[in-house]
Amino acid sequence: MHRIERDRARFREIVRGRLRKDLRKYLSSTELLGRRGDKSVSIPIPQIELPRFRFGDNSKQGVGQGPGEEGDPVDGEPQEGEGAGSAGDQAGSHILEVDVDLAELAEMLGDELELPNIEPRGDRLLSAEGGRYTGIRTTGPKSLRHFRRTYDRALRRTIASGDWDPFDPKVIPIHDDERIRHQKPAPKPESSAVIFHVMDVSGSMGREQKDVVRIKAFWIDTWLRSQYTNLEVVYIVHDAVARVVDQETFFHLRESGGTKISSAYELLLEQILEKYRPEEWNIYPFHYSDGDNWSARDTERCVGLLRDELLPRVNQFCYGQVKSAYGSGQFMKDLDGALGQEERLVTASVEDREGVPGAIKAFLGRGV
Amino acid sequence: MVRTEPLPPELRRMNLEIEEIARSAGLDFYQVIFELLDARDVNALAAYTGFPVRYPSWRFGMEFERLDKGYAWGLSKIYELVINNDPTYAYLVRSNTPMEQKLVMAHVYGHADFFKHNIWFQPTNRHMVDGMADHGSRIRRYIERYGQEEVERFLDAALALDNLIDPYLPLRELRKSKAPARRPVSPLERARRSFRAVSGERPEPDEVEVPPPSGTPTLDVLGFLAKHADLSDWQRDILEVVRSEAYYFVPQRMTKIMNEGWASFWHSRIMTRSLVDASEIVDFADCHSGATASQPGQLNPYKLGIDLFRYAEEKGMDLFRLRATHNDVSFIDTVVDEEFAHRSNLFLYNRNPRTGRMEVADRDWQAIKSELLASMAGGGAPQIELVDRDYEGREELLLVHRFDGRELQLDQAGETLKQVAQLWKRPCHLETQADGQTVRLTSDGVEVKSVETLEGAEEAAEDRQAS
Repeated sequence: MHRIERDRARFREIVRGRLRKDLRKYLSSTELLGRRGDKSVSIPIPQIELPRFRFGDNSKQGVGQGPGEEGDPVDGEPQEGEGAGSAGDQAGSHILEVDVDLAELAEMLGDELELPNIEPRGDRLLSAEGGRYTGIRTTGPKSLRHFRRTYDRALRRTIASGDWDPFDPKVIPIHDDERIRHQKPAPKPESSAVIFHVMDVSGSMGREQKDVVRIKAFWIDTWLRSQYTNLEVVYIVHDAVARVVDQETFFHLRESGGTKISSAYELLLEQILEKYRPEEWNIYPFHYSDGDNWSARDTERCVGLLRDELLPRVNQFCYGQVKSAYGSGQFMKDLDGALGQEERLVTASVEDREGVPGAIKAFLGRGV
Repeated sequence: MVRTEPLPPELRRMNLEIEEIARSAGLDFYQVIFELLDARDVNALAAYTGFPVRYPSWRFGMEFERLDKGYAWGLSKIYELVINNDPTYAYLVRSNTPMEQKLVMAHVYGHADFFKHNIWFQPTNRHMVDGMADHGSRIRRYIERYGQEEVERFLDAALALDNLIDPYLPLRELRKSKAPARRPVSPLERARRSFRAVSGERPEPDEVEVPPPSGTPTLDVLGFLAKHADLSDWQRDILEVVRSEAYYFVPQRMTKIMNEGWASFWHSRIMTRSLVDASEIVDFADCHSGATASQPGQLNPYKLGIDLFRYAEEKGMDLFRLRATHNDVSFIDTVVDEEFAHRSNLFLYNRNPRTGRMEVADRDWQAIKSELLASMAGGGAPQIELVDRDYEGREELLLVHRFDGRELQLDQAGETLKQVAQLWKRPCHLETQADGQTVRLTSDGVEVKSVETLEGAEEAAEDRQAS
């Protein structure tokens, strides 16, 4: 092993809190990969910064280089009102921002968490549709023109032909300069899957708990999307009653009231029987709750529903218990007690954001 | 971990050609040895600040993690890595194009010349590759004997103090050893001596290690602690290791703009005048402008540096003399004038309290220049001086932050002071300023107390003068 790998391994052990616990308080930015806009993500790199004698962030001014009138904003500064909800403006946190498409993202997630590829039920034909715009050709629709490459060619031609005037730098592409993006086919197995995100929205699920669910749901969707050509997502919320909602509502709803988990499982079963028949669909229900159910009777009913109706029909049923200040966390104990032997049931508890990768690995690590 | 292999013939031929061009342009350097490595290995070396062997530390692992992830995601890529040593080692990334390799080589010869001739590098250990390896094996030995955690903790504490050194000490000592001081010399004579020092008559400073710490008052707090604190032998040795490495790196901090500017100036000149062929010129321009791009909010040392050298050349200054005798502060002080500030598009920015954003505030060249100089003073680190080792007769240390308008991060300063007190095993004090008030932090190694002493400060200052 390289020396550097040993140093890296030690650093990772410290970040995970297994060694040198005294350093944990200097650890910054452990938020898992978050989503910004459609495609870009930020990748926080964990960093430990020990105290030193250093200048504070009280710099009132500085020197820059570039154009601009007095009063013009200096670029690179965060605008007010953006990035709400994401922490991470603490000193010293390294956040890399990148544009990647979701397929690459899923691949990296798979590498990072060592997720096995899923072998879907029901083999079907390979489809050669889709694919990514990774190729370059000299012909094609103008809307796919690669601006930079086109101008690069044009600049070369201008210089080569002696028309280049450094004092009047004009580059005018002609037809032959044009470089057009081209889609390369990427065959994928054709198979369909449905994800059910079921969330407990009773009063005890606070903002932080929902954030954990949000992050987790995003990554689960991203991963499963990379495995299936046709993926549908159904959102269900429940307190004492359950209903199907859209994505927006799912993440922003704040309800209060009691919790009757069986209501959600009944709705789930109804959906499966009516719309997503197991012969045609790979089914992945994910249920998030703080583990506080209405009564032991209702929990019994849930166990029955799972054992007799749901588990036989799904690829895997995942129960993620988010820790909250109010939840007793009893539900997970009950599930594990009654159904611990069931292969298709996975339970995981998530303390906070840091626990998300572990839970995702528990959920998706089996490759079924 | 560095798998050394001879350069492939194509690169070797390129290197010979570039070396020849560099020499005939007037550059002078120790032998430069290029090694060709994969990007991952270059990242690993960069995490070790360029040296193949260093002591074990999670810090290097952390840096590697950052570089490696940045590379994997296509965000950052290291082009060049060169270390100040005789011979001078430099690394080429295997995946670079031949044009990029030429550019990097030309750039490296600029750095190599700078290392050899700039006065601030004269006292540095030119066999630091061996020095670092030796430090590594010493610390590895302590780890075997006293346990990783124990040694690592102490090392972390020592590294937290590695900016408590006197950047001017090695050069001062070097001059002293050259010309035994009889009486104060005139500034003119001092300048002459420093010229002589860089002209190369001096015997090779072979095993230059850092000069011994001087007495109080001193900026070399780390040296003071290594000499006088009540420590066990291995702890003292670790302080010495950290101190010696800090002194090795400090000239690079003080000459960042010059060093990068000089190397960029030469890669640009060598490439455009002699080396780049027609098919490569667009790619070269692309690569060069990427490296010297300026972003409005921050200064790019490559860009500012190359602008300064080009301007100095245009004004008829002797570039070789400039690169030998200055650090960033004195260089900027010498070269920046109204015309330069205007042509280089420099501006002063500050925070608009209404919008909370940074805005272009001023294009007045004098304001820009003084802000530039102020921000670089002391190599960018706060100047903290040990003024009294026996404060109020209680063997307590009194540190004073030489306030230059930039405030310390107080909570961190308190934590750091606590570590000083733990090493010294007696209470320690630090005077600094916060919100226009003089503040005194005190730590006994367990707790940190903070007292604002607006009037008390003056009395204390008088006390010190009296004693």
